[in-house]
Amino acid sequence: MSEDALQYDAIVIGAGHNGLVSAGYLAKAGKTVVVLDAAEFVGGAARTAEISPDYQVSTAAHLVSSFPRRVEKDLKLSKHGLSWATKDMATVALDRDGKHITLSSGGKNDLMKIAAHAARDGDAWKQFDARMRKYVKLLAPLLEGPMPQTGKDAPSRLATMMALRLEKLGPKDLRAFMQLMPSSVAALLDRNFEGDLIKGALSLDATLGNHAGPHTPGTGFSLVYKRALEAMGQGVGYPVGGTGALTEALATSAEAAGVRIRLESPVNQIIIEDGRTKGVRLEDGTVFEAPLVMSSADPKTTCLDLVGARHFEAPVATHLSRIRMEGATAKVNLALEGLPTFKNFTDKEYGGRLLIAPDMGTVERSFTAAKRGELTLEPVMELVIPSYHDPRLAPMGHHVMSIVLPNMPYEINGGWEAQRDMLMKRVIDTVREYAPDISHKIIAGELLTPPELEESFGMSGAHWHQGNMSFDQLLAFRPAPGMANYGGAVDGLYLCGAGSHPGGGLSGLPGKFAAETALAREKSK
Amino acid sequence: MTDRQDDQALADAAIDVSRDSPLNGAGVAPDPAWFEQSVVEEPFSRHVLTTPLHLDVAAESRTNRWVDWSGYTVADVYTSVDQEYDALRTRAALSDISPLIKYRVSGREAVPFLNRLLTRSVETLNIDRAARAILCAGDGNIITQGMLFRLAEEEFRLVVRSSHLDWLEQSAIGFDVRVEDVSGTIAGLSLAGPAAAKVLAAAGMEKPEALSKGEARWEQLGGMPTYVSRTGMMGGTEYELWTDPSDASVLWRRLLDAGRTQGIRPVGAAARDVARLENGVALEGVDYQSALTAFDSADTRTPYDLSLGGLVDLERTVFNGQKSLSRVADRGSASVLVGLELALAEGAPIGPVCMEESRVGQVKSHAWSPSLQCVVALAVIEASALGASDGFTVETAGSSRQPVKLAKRPFLRFS
Ligand SMILES: Cc1cc2nc3c(=O)[nH]c(=O)nc-3n(C[C@H](O)[C@H](O)[C@H](O)COP(=O)(O)OP(=O)(O)OC[C@H]3O[C@@H](n4cnc5c(N)ncnc54)[C@H](O)[C@@H]3O)c2cc1C
Repeated sequence: MSEDALQYDAIVIGAGHNGLVSAGYLAKAGKTVVVLDAAEFVGGAARTAEISPDYQVSTAAHLVSSFPRRVEKDLKLSKHGLSWATKDMATVALDRDGKHITLSSGGKNDLMKIAAHAARDGDAWKQFDARMRKYVKLLAPLLEGPMPQTGKDAPSRLATMMALRLEKLGPKDLRAFMQLMPSSVAALLDRNFEGDLIKGALSLDATLGNHAGPHTPGTGFSLVYKRALEAMGQGVGYPVGGTGALTEALATSAEAAGVRIRLESPVNQIIIEDGRTKGVRLEDGTVFEAPLVMSSADPKTTCLDLVGARHFEAPVATHLSRIRMEGATAKVNLALEGLPTFKNFTDKEYGGRLLIAPDMGTVERSFTAAKRGELTLEPVMELVIPSYHDPRLAPMGHHVMSIVLPNMPYEINGGWEAQRDMLMKRVIDTVREYAPDISHKIIAGELLTPPELEESFGMSGAHWHQGNMSFDQLLAFRPAPGMANYGGAVDGLYLCGAGSHPGGGLSGLPGKFAAETALAREKSK
Repeated sequence: MTDRQDDQALADAAIDVSRDSPLNGAGVAPDPAWFEQSVVEEPFSRHVLTTPLHLDVAAESRTNRWVDWSGYTVADVYTSVDQEYDALRTRAALSDISPLIKYRVSGREAVPFLNRLLTRSVETLNIDRAARAILCAGDGNIITQGMLFRLAEEEFRLVVRSSHLDWLEQSAIGFDVRVEDVSGTIAGLSLAGPAAAKVLAAAGMEKPEALSKGEARWEQLGGMPTYVSRTGMMGGTEYELWTDPSDASVLWRRLLDAGRTQGIRPVGAAARDVARLENGVALEGVDYQSALTAFDSADTRTPYDLSLGGLVDLERTVFNGQKSLSRVADRGSASVLVGLELALAEGAPIGPVCMEESRVGQVKSHAWSPSLQCVVALAVIEASALGASDGFTVETAGSSRQPVKLAKRPFLRFS
């Protein structure tokens, strides 16, 4: 395909991981594909960049926990440069007094540490974890492919998929599952645990990246769903070179398959003619033509702005306009002169996924503050030291720390310019409670506020899932009721980003399923 | 009055004048009471709504029989259904149709907005013309029906049976268009019957007969700006007059006066309903339910089910219900609305419509047609039963099954 061709079999909007996965699968099926991205880099929110010279970090998304082995193999990613620094980071809930707990699948030592906070929680965790695994099995078949196509028998097929497994659960677990579905994660955890720390950490896990607090109804299910998505992956991992290395490998693999990736190419219109897609128009007026348009921009932007509401029947446009994607995340990345000293830390813990969420109240307060457009006094966070696994990210002996800050207001009272230093201070102060020497180790740091993340990663509203991942917006309702088939409303248009089933996070699955759906539909014609 | 009293009164007046009267020139402090509104009604305080014509209508009522229409109290019968029907079909009939819902749709993208809202393109609708309008939901079933008037290049008025502002607002997402409910700012009068044009001429309209079906124009009737349209749903000669609510009462009396020699009568909802049935028009809320408010989805109908497929244009850009309607168009309706005639002098059809022993449909509305001297009814029948042209029966009150005949709609034709 020549460098300046304007006609393709398929156009993919967005060179984030989902767009690239889609492009890869389409090319594998023999399609000529161009990927267009507004940014100067590939990767979308999965990108590695420097904090300051020689200190590399995954600027936004920092952990890969749901990326399937299947996709890695299909697209020959290891051949194209992907390797893993680690694939089994433990989740560690930090305790101010050094009584940290590790949420693993039940090592004796880990259970004892949990029990140190509340005697019965060790056993409770074992039971809870086992039950969660059953629920995950229950959901798994729904995540392994597209939702059943719309059609008369879709509901019954869906029901059979679920019902078989529901029966297997047994009456006790079934009752617990039914109770869990609408529950808040706070109610769920209160039913199971006594200790504040374990509840704080699990409630953060359930709400991370969503506009929700522990007391928000439905967050119990979010926790199960998150684990189900992780079960599609290969463990909580970190690619050598950061998440950007994953998307680099995806890009190289796609290009090897003949895909053309064109950066700095913002699409501002998807062209529709006679009810089907004809191509896209860039901001500078260039037109690319293809019968197939895959968009990994979020569904609301894709359909209402790039296509235009008028090309959908009103109920569809209304559903789209109601997708809840408020709520936002901020990111702090630090370059460190050496490893900070966390009280009582073992090796494994330094290499873990660290959660700061001392109790559910703190998590809830961060949500309340976000709702009010305020900065929380005690930020909760997910924190990793990637250089611990991948030393090349920083000079010898030096480190980088990557901190995700959930529940940050998109619009903050007084404006972000006035509040950013305060946020940075509160983050460092909070980390210092666990690693007292942190301040002395910082050489450089960056803070990306939600508007800045939106600006540099093209994520509208800085929402990391292109739509809240709550039950009403998952599975058959993702991205919107009646649209769970990656498009459907306009012929030739497919939604292949995190806004589609099975949702956000670095899984590549929306990209894969969208491509497969498009190819299957073409074949059936 | 004595002189002394007189003087006293004058003195009092002098004081009063200096203090109170705005007529007393400059330097008088305004009393806030001058600006107070006399009647203050809390919003939503009233539950029984009356139209701007209520007092006039009440003055004509001899029966005190009223009926609810979209929350408004309107006359059901003024004197007797027979008399009113007679005026409607042989002379002139005046009715209050103010409870109709009116939306103003305006703006740069009013046309594309309406194209997506309605089952037909409005591109070809000329200014001062009205066309039948159908709004469908995503499932292809009718939300409501009515008339669309084009008032200017970018200004339309949509007059429909039931209120669906939320649907219109949702449909407006992404369009540069303004949608307002102007129901309260426009009163409606219907003038129907063979003598209607003469009445209008006598009331001051020039050449009302020149107005063709579906046409409308602005008129000054006794100095009152009135939008007169040749529209209606009862068949025969029909005009509808749209005016400011504060003029409505004067216009009503003016028309009654002008029509006296023609034998005009105020006509209530009951007689109008007979006429609408004779004209074969299915009524929302009676013969079918709105797609957005139906309790049972089995009561909703697509335009095809009502034989209104001619008002659906599938071959164009996206409109609400398009996908579902193309499927219905391909497969055909499952059940359709048909006209039935029963050769009964009396007795209402109540039971299901049957074919031999099996039940194939249900009568939705019916009336004794004085013109046809039989009972006319609208019924919903399974499309599969329509192969046969006779053999249908229906249960009636009092007697057993009666044979019924399928009839073309409209039942009654006007030359
Ligand atoms: C701060 C933060 C931390 C996160 N941490 C994690 C994590 O640790 N683990 C995890 O799994 N997930 C994480 N996520 C979520 C994860 O980043 C997203 O779910 C994922 O990036 C979605 O991938 P995508 O390919 O669907 O979309 P994106 O990565 O957002 O890519 C979309 C691409 O489309 C481009 N684009 C958009 N509009 C246009 C247009 N009109 N024309 C041209 N190009 C356009 C954008 O420039 C962008 O490159 C995080 C998100 C945030 C914000």
